[in-house]
Amino acid sequence: MFITFAFVTLLGALGMLLQKNVIVAGLCMVATFFGVAGLFLLLANPVAAALQIIVYSGAIMVLVLFVIMMLNSHEEEAAQTARPVQRWVSVALVAALAFGAVKLVLTSAGLKALAVSGEPMPGAMTLQKVGTTLFAEHLLGFEVAGILLLAAMVGAVALTKRNL
Amino acid sequence: MTGMDAILNGGLQGYLVVALLLFAIGLATVLLRRTLLMQFMGVELMLNAANVALLAFARFRGGDAQATVFYLFIIAVAACEAAIGLALVIGLYRHRGTTDSDRAAGLKQ
Repeated sequence: MFITFAFVTLLGALGMLLQKNVIVAGLCMVATFFGVAGLFLLLANPVAAALQIIVYSGAIMVLVLFVIMMLNSHEEEAAQTARPVQRWVSVALVAALAFGAVKLVLTSAGLKALAVSGEPMPGAMTLQKVGTTLFAEHLLGFEVAGILLLAAMVGAVALTKRNL
Repeated sequence: MTGMDAILNGGLQGYLVVALLLFAIGLATVLLRRTLLMQFMGVELMLNAANVALLAFARFRGGDAQATVFYLFIIAVAACEAAIGLALVIGLYRHRGTTDSDRAAGLKQ
């Protein structure tokens, strides 16, 4: 099960990286988000899985696809100047980072101990637990997040409106 | 469950490897693609990788609800970032008629 969702996630992400058409890349990204939601389910966290599907696959991707279609920029424009050196350097950098980090994760003794001690499956996360923690311990953060969302909404309207 | 077994069957290391590879692909998207919308999607991918790592650690530390609350905050910030980022892309397109980040390198009109 895990390997299936991991494959969906990583293949979607790779498809997004390599796809020429921006809309198809966006749909590959939706596949990635569904894969991540599946991983959250396997992590005994259905609340996060539902939020992932509603917010990412639902709201954010609809926004992105809407803007892609509105700007009519389906294909990547031809490069002004070819930058082969920079591209190869960035590929090498990303590959080195990924390889090093994966090697670090696989050899870390602390992670191994945590993986063994956390082996028994905890009870599934419930909305009630999340809500209690959110409103009992992080009320200020919740209010700040609300104000931030309001500010972003006003900012987005102010940025896109031609003449206020 | 450690080592190769963890990667195949979903131990802590397996989730972390998936998160790291997702982050690397997101970073590669930001570095290699020139369309601003694609770069934006790469940033979203990196945010998702961070979420996977966060919730994986939470599950292996006994399923704490704090992590889910922070996940909630992270997606609130991601939604703000999506709204503002896309508004900026639309603004750029209005002024320059392009969504290519190379063509928008200078500040002068």
